[in-house]
Amino acid sequence: MDYKDVANYKNYALLSYHHIPGVHNIEVFERAGGYETMKKCFEMDPEAIKEEVKQSGLRGRGGAGFATGVKWGFFTKDRNAKKYLLCNADESEPGTFKDRFLVEKNPHILIEGMIISAWALGTQKGYIYIRGEFYHQAMVLERALKEAYAKGYLGKNIMGKGFDFDLYVHRGAGAYICGEETALISSLEGQKGQPKLKPPFPAIKGYRGLPTMVNNVESLAAVPWIMRHGAAAYKQWGTEKSPGTKLFSISGDVNKPGVIEVPLSTTLKEIIEIHCGGMRNGNKLKAVIPGGSSSPVLNADDSYAVKMDYEDVAAKGSMLGSGAIIIIDETRNMGDILKYTLEFYHHESCGQCTPCREGTGWLEAIFKRKETGKSSKSDIVLLDKTAASMRGQTICALADAAAMPTQGMIKVFREELEQYVTAAPKK
Amino acid sequence: MSQTEKFEFTPDRLALYKEYLTRYDDIDSALLPTLHLAQEQNGWLSDSVVAYISELMGLPSIRIKEVISFYDMLYDQPVGRNIVHVCTNITCSMFGGREIYSGLLKHFETGYLTPTRDGRISIQKMECLGACEQAPCMRVNNDYVGNIDLQSAISKLEELP
Amino acid sequence: MTEKVKLTWNGKEIEAPKGSNLLKAALDNGIEVAHYCYHSGLSVAGVCRMCMVEQDGVPRPFPSCNATCGEGMVIRSDTPKIKASVEATLQFHLLNHPLDCPVCDQAGECGLQDYYMKHGQYDSQMIDKKVHKEKVQDIGKNVMLDAERCILCSRCVRFTEEITKTNEMGILNRGDHAEIQCNETLKNDYAQNLVDICPVGALTSKDFRFKQRVWFLEDVHTTCIGCETGCSVKVSENKNGAFRVKPVYDHEVNGHWMCDDGRYIYKHVSSPTRLGGAVENINGLFVPADELNVQAAVKGKKTKYILSTALTIEEYANFFNAVKGKNVEVALYTLPSDGPEFDGILRRGDKNPNLRGAKAAFELAGFDHSQAGLDNLLGSISSSDAVFVVVPEILYNEDHFNTLIKKVEKAGVRIALACGETLGTLRAFNYLLPIPAFLEKNGEILNYQGQARKLRKGMTYGEASKDVSYYGKWVNL
Repeated sequence: MDYKDVANYKNYALLSYHHIPGVHNIEVFERAGGYETMKKCFEMDPEAIKEEVKQSGLRGRGGAGFATGVKWGFFTKDRNAKKYLLCNADESEPGTFKDRFLVEKNPHILIEGMIISAWALGTQKGYIYIRGEFYHQAMVLERALKEAYAKGYLGKNIMGKGFDFDLYVHRGAGAYICGEETALISSLEGQKGQPKLKPPFPAIKGYRGLPTMVNNVESLAAVPWIMRHGAAAYKQWGTEKSPGTKLFSISGDVNKPGVIEVPLSTTLKEIIEIHCGGMRNGNKLKAVIPGGSSSPVLNADDSYAVKMDYEDVAAKGSMLGSGAIIIIDETRNMGDILKYTLEFYHHESCGQCTPCREGTGWLEAIFKRKETGKSSKSDIVLLDKTAASMRGQTICALADAAAMPTQGMIKVFREELEQYVTAAPKK
Repeated sequence: MSQTEKFEFTPDRLALYKEYLTRYDDIDSALLPTLHLAQEQNGWLSDSVVAYISELMGLPSIRIKEVISFYDMLYDQPVGRNIVHVCTNITCSMFGGREIYSGLLKHFETGYLTPTRDGRISIQKMECLGACEQAPCMRVNNDYVGNIDLQSAISKLEELP
Repeated sequence: MTEKVKLTWNGKEIEAPKGSNLLKAALDNGIEVAHYCYHSGLSVAGVCRMCMVEQDGVPRPFPSCNATCGEGMVIRSDTPKIKASVEATLQFHLLNHPLDCPVCDQAGECGLQDYYMKHGQYDSQMIDKKVHKEKVQDIGKNVMLDAERCILCSRCVRFTEEITKTNEMGILNRGDHAEIQCNETLKNDYAQNLVDICPVGALTSKDFRFKQRVWFLEDVHTTCIGCETGCSVKVSENKNGAFRVKPVYDHEVNGHWMCDDGRYIYKHVSSPTRLGGAVENINGLFVPADELNVQAAVKGKKTKYILSTALTIEEYANFFNAVKGKNVEVALYTLPSDGPEFDGILRRGDKNPNLRGAKAAFELAGFDHSQAGLDNLLGSISSSDAVFVVVPEILYNEDHFNTLIKKVEKAGVRIALACGETLGTLRAFNYLLPIPAFLEKNGEILNYQGQARKLRKGMTYGEASKDVSYYGKWVNL
């Protein structure tokens, strides 16, 4: 696999070890300073760790962007209560591949982050739920866990602190929805991966009905850096509402697609031109999907103007999501992009809630009416209306994830879509 | 293996299953890893596999069937010895993922997930594989193969045992 | 006592137990809220998304089935936002539905039809190909499954998981390919409840299919006489007969459910074998007889009565009043147990619906209701006796009853008091005299808890004006 020049990022938080050959080995990782923060944290009051993470302003990197420290604050402080820490490594939002890139090279940064988090939260058991397709990454993690057990960083009475923490890898089996935290819990419980009704929230009643904290890979992996350098240092990057650095997965029509770590609020222009070597074939930028397939598309002007932080992307009518940036150049038809998106959500709807189960299929059917010779320009109106009626109606956000890019695409590229649906079907 | 042939774990897989049980606080949670294990041995999850696991784990067979039907990587029908996942999501489709998928089906004279006549390969159209920087990409068994075109994909698959 | 809270729903003040289900509170207070997946006898699924409400101070609408009642809550389900969402969600429910109402047995009591009239009535813009699924599947226990009509509310799945714990039903696949499936066949004794709880026509009763349109039926709210549980039920009938039995919610006895055996207690009520009057057995053929001739045959004989356990408290009382002070023998025939004493849900092995009422009446009148009493009566039978045997209305164990009939054979005149000439072995009797079926009389029976359960009179299909007390007057004619 051909990765970007990771050495550029060694001064940041998450990819700071990535340039070190063999860092997936615990010895190499420790020589580079790995697990030192964990040892330091075991000398700290767990509440102080929680407070530091809260102060850092770290926001959940899975897509929702909810402040990790605040989420931790909902968790029971009763250290004796049985509870779980789950790492969401189900990375499935189309366009996203940052967590894979992080753990396959540096599994220990995640494990160190999870041990610190477990100590802070008082969880006795944890699972890394990794998507089924990432078989080798699961094996890398399994191997790293063995190393950590051998060092006494996992298991019973860690570092003589009377603290037990067991950590395992749990492989998914191919379902996008399992990236939703309650679906992930259902899946871990040996059920279909269907989201659960909220309330209750997992922090109160999660896996097996017990308090459960679910955090994204990138969020947990950021914890060691924050605890080593302090919340203030973390906030040197980004903005007040979007502090720190973020991994971005960039794909599509750029010269050098891949994963980068940059401070939040870095301009998309800089990301495209500096980090990704500019547009492929020197083509003109047409649009960008800034935060995974569920985020509304940005036109070229907004793309060049946007700063990649939670608030500025939102101000442009989209969302930062998982930081999956898909670059689309002038040679592309936006109708094709929307078609791929709609087929995806139709395929991935778990089937539980009626508006999503029926709506995702209908969006696709309406948009592809030209294949049965029944299409008209007004289909776009129906598409917009149908998407709107799916929003805010379901247990999880999958219906919204299908509706938002649909409505976003109509808003920005209505004429092109009208032409697309009425054009003669391709042979 | 046919639908009716009796299934049971090999001794080493049974040992692995028992090790899995120690990782979880209830037996239900071990279902997904157990199904992975059974599929590894049997290729697919036939009714006799379901019956065996239902008995082994004390779980209702309908629950197991529900789970199998829910996940794209669990198969309730016979599949080829090698599984090929072709990504057809946004970025991969921008770079010809769909044409590669249909080209592979045509070349190997097969359909979605249907094993080739020699039982060698099953090709499955998949959602985003999480490797968009290598678009278009596919998964051959557990290995990612990126930046493919139809020709290189065919050559890769022709090498399969 | 649970603490009660006051809240308002669409401006109407309602009261409900604190922390109880919000949707249930509305329904219990007569507020109509569209819903498919919620059922107060099952866990909450929250998937149909029909019962959405808005609450003052809560930013986003939420399903009322997943909320609990709190003091002072201000709930609205009549805002433009909620109305629009209910209409849209209903449209999603109907999108892939086959709309085969003309051939669907659910028509007339279908949640899709009802809510379409109330919340829908839009112009359909669905011109696309529907998802096809498996239709007309016989999944056993007289239940038919049509997966295309199913709206995936999961009630049936939750029922077999939570109530019968037999786990036959499941939902396979994802998205709009999700489909209800039965694992092999149904094997629980409560399968007909699946038909009741299905809010649409996906699960229908093979026993009831294609027999009647529901709008031509009237319900009689009565009590099941199938066993000593005494479930509250309603029997649907019209002048052509009785057609089905469904449970009626009863907090103290049966909750929401009833067993499959109870579903068939209506069969004899409007059967063509019902007696319209006295019949005489002439060489094995039952022919209409004049009641006066029967009385003539009884005249001069010593009368003995064997009562069943399925009569009402009133019938027993009237009977014993009729025979009071007369030289008469009376005993009680008790049906033997069928299956385990209690199956853990509702069904009881004791098939004597009013055993407690019968015993109390016998004791009050000074008669022996024990097996020894019955044995004494049977042992003393001679050709100078006229023996009246009340045939148990629901006869689980014919063989057992036949041994009783054998012991009556010595009597000079043998008379069966029955609803109909249902059994071949009734040919051992000289006469059959009609009595009303349970659906043709008012009265009470005492169930296993000693609770008085009401039988209510519906339509009449046979001669129902003469009960056992009428024949009790035939002593010493």
